[in-house]
Amino acid sequence: MSDELDEIQAIFFEECAEGLVTAEQGLSAMQAGDVSAETIAGVFRAVHSIKGGAGAFGHADLTAFAHKFENVLDEVRGGKIPPSPGVVKVMLSAFDILTDHVESAKGLAPRPADQAALAALEQVLANKGADDGAPVANSTAPAPAAVETPAAPAADEADEFGFVPMAVSLDDFDAPAEAPAADAPWIVTFKPSRAALANAGEPLLIVRELEALGAETVAVDTSTVPPLRDLDPEDAYFTWTLRVPGEVSESDINDCFDFVAPDSIVEVRRDETAAPAAAPVAEVAAADEFGFVPVTAGVEDFAAEMQRVVETIAAASPAVGSVDTPAIAPKANSDAQQTIRVDLGKLDLLLNLVGELVIRNSILADRLSPADRQRVELPELARLTRQIQDNVMSLRAQPIKQAFSRVPRMLRDLSVETGKTINLETTGETTEVDKGVIEKIGDPLTHMIRNAADHGLESAEERIAAGKSPEGTIKLSAEQKGARIFVRVSDNGRGINRERVKAKAIEKGIIPADAQLSNEEIDQLICAPGFSTAETISNISGRGVGMDVVRSNVEALGGRIEIHSVPGEGTTFTMILPLTLAILDGMIVRLAGQRFVLPLAHVLETVQPEPGQVKRTAPDSEVIDMRGEYVPVKRTTEIFGLNDDRAVEDSLVVIVESEGSGKVGLVVDTIDDRREVVIKSLDQNLHPIRGLGGATILGDGSIALILDIEALVASTNRYTPKGLAA
Amino acid sequence: MTTTNDNAGTDRKIVTFSLAQQTFGIDMRALIEIREWDEPTPLPNVPGFIKGVTNLRGNVIPVVGLAERLGWEPSVIHARSCVLVVNIAGKQAGFLVDEVNDIVAIGETEIQPAPEVETIEPTVIAGLVRIATRQKDGTRDEKGTMVLLLDLDALSLTKHLDLAA
Repeated sequence: MSDELDEIQAIFFEECAEGLVTAEQGLSAMQAGDVSAETIAGVFRAVHSIKGGAGAFGHADLTAFAHKFENVLDEVRGGKIPPSPGVVKVMLSAFDILTDHVESAKGLAPRPADQAALAALEQVLANKGADDGAPVANSTAPAPAAVETPAAPAADEADEFGFVPMAVSLDDFDAPAEAPAADAPWIVTFKPSRAALANAGEPLLIVRELEALGAETVAVDTSTVPPLRDLDPEDAYFTWTLRVPGEVSESDINDCFDFVAPDSIVEVRRDETAAPAAAPVAEVAAADEFGFVPVTAGVEDFAAEMQRVVETIAAASPAVGSVDTPAIAPKANSDAQQTIRVDLGKLDLLLNLVGELVIRNSILADRLSPADRQRVELPELARLTRQIQDNVMSLRAQPIKQAFSRVPRMLRDLSVETGKTINLETTGETTEVDKGVIEKIGDPLTHMIRNAADHGLESAEERIAAGKSPEGTIKLSAEQKGARIFVRVSDNGRGINRERVKAKAIEKGIIPADAQLSNEEIDQLICAPGFSTAETISNISGRGVGMDVVRSNVEALGGRIEIHSVPGEGTTFTMILPLTLAILDGMIVRLAGQRFVLPLAHVLETVQPEPGQVKRTAPDSEVIDMRGEYVPVKRTTEIFGLNDDRAVEDSLVVIVESEGSGKVGLVVDTIDDRREVVIKSLDQNLHPIRGLGGATILGDGSIALILDIEALVASTNRYTPKGLAA
Repeated sequence: MTTTNDNAGTDRKIVTFSLAQQTFGIDMRALIEIREWDEPTPLPNVPGFIKGVTNLRGNVIPVVGLAERLGWEPSVIHARSCVLVVNIAGKQAGFLVDEVNDIVAIGETEIQPAPEVETIEPTVIAGLVRIATRQKDGTRDEKGTMVLLLDLDALSLTKHLDLAA
């Protein structure tokens, strides 16, 4: 049972992560001026569902904080608190704390210090001045002092903003600023789906929750209970009718039904026969106009209904009058896409099986006679198989925004640490990349952003002196070109000071004092191990590990880094990465007869050595004369302890380039083929083996091991800057 | 496959196999499949008992010489040599054995603890159990055979290799 609970909890945390991403995007949009009802509602929904889930799992601190945050969002959504930049800023800080609370709930972090954020939220709630203490079932309703503050300005504001119709927004139309408390009681009809119990939707809990709001059960319809012999004790049969006091807000009632099973029928309406007279006419009219009373919808329809209302409001608001902020057209929302959660293991299994299918396909082709091979069925089968393979690969692809999502928060922190105002512009977040790549670019990205914020951008004073806007801008973009993905981090800062970089490199002994370097070569020095030009080691970057770690991480992924810098205008770092880590372009070579895969990205050229071209410089070291350049030669067979007495003249030397050791020649018997191979990790069932990057399955079903060039050439060579590589 | 089932209160099934003239057993639940011996792709820089890796439906799994792993003389490959593919704590591995014998149901109570032996590493024998063996003509040999039950978790390759690596 506890395992099951853990599983459900894991799903909750996944949803939290998604909710946080949605909330942050919404808040960032609000910060950028998009205060459309849709955006605000999106943030509200995200925080609300985090609160709901947290409550269900007993994360009290998270629930309490999310609740307070939600209150503020609710008021903003209801138009009672204008989403001014100040308010959005408070919400962004609250969001950061919320993120920390989620981490803390996961047990990954201590409980965050949230007092300041809570106080700021309180402050926002208290200062809004509009809420006249309508009895919203809300433990954190504003302090009585707030009630005494003049209600007029906010009410005016509401009118001016055309926000009065927003009173229909589920929560509020029972408690409008001017409504008296004598609302008609609610009649709630609840018919759980038959399968409610199987779906963990215990109806009793919901009834209890409603009772906690003051509900009384008016009637229970038991007519649907079948005769005993047909009765399934695990099915739900009853229909409840409950009366809830009128002053309870509809959203609080609806909250109780957050987690009911699909197909349940929930109906919430005012008991019009009881006391309709008290409701202000305008209120009822508004409600009718939007067709929102009564709400009768299956739970699944509810969100759609809500969406419809929000859109109606969004559409209606320009008509109501001058709206201060431009009405922003509802954006096509990617959240609306239907998605399904699939265990990654299942995808990998599918990928394996498809790989197997490809192999069987080629074996089949080999066994058929040439005449049969030409028939239409086989190419058709091959084409279908290829399509399936491509599709399965694409299932692992995720939008890169998952990696980008932590950048805004980081920049907010950096902004505080450095005292620089930094704007972030992001493009191409929807570019899809293999999940493995997304997981691994996080660290390089962090370093690049920190670098840009700390070294790239100047202080406000410097910027003004240089005739620039005092606010720095960091642009983050992603785009796909062929089988590669380009991730760029550019700043509009001071650019690379090449003189200083060169001087520093000479001082650190990275390059000789008389080196003649092109601008590009100087820029590349930033990524050299142990290089740092920061005058003082700051908290943020400048430990001299930053960029070389970025480079080695990116190269470990089979990618590279390009640097483009214009003095005074800024610097752009581009990470060029493979779209997937699952496929590698490789050269199939033989070592002592056994087949191995050599990643083609490292291969510079291949030579068949002439007699005397390979020379021994010591008993255990050889070099090859490459047009006058002496390149060290390594016998991979020796490193792997394979028996090989083949003379070097009968072998081939593949010249590879590695980051740690430069050019190295590897002796191989022959080259069999060049092909794309699917990478299988060895640690999935065994453990990583030094010198091997994994294994692959060849066309005949046999396994070839993939060589890890960096580890191979480094195994007997000098220091490699892999220290911090993930 | 048929199952010998003459024990009251049978709780679990084991697969029995011979290795170095002994009869061993592993829990049936851990078994994924039994394959014919097929020369695996050798790996560099691994202990000798890891014979290499092989392709199990697109999965790369290590093949272990179980005899060497348990400290016996290496198995000689012959016609009945086969590989038991098992799942150990979510990882798959193939064990080379001399011959697979039978699937037997045993009662939990029949298992006797392995006698204490002085070894460097923790014992990989989970217990001993006597089973009735089938003769070639299908009759039961009443004397039975002592089966050494292997503790697969103790055989876990990663654990052992972490020390070796």
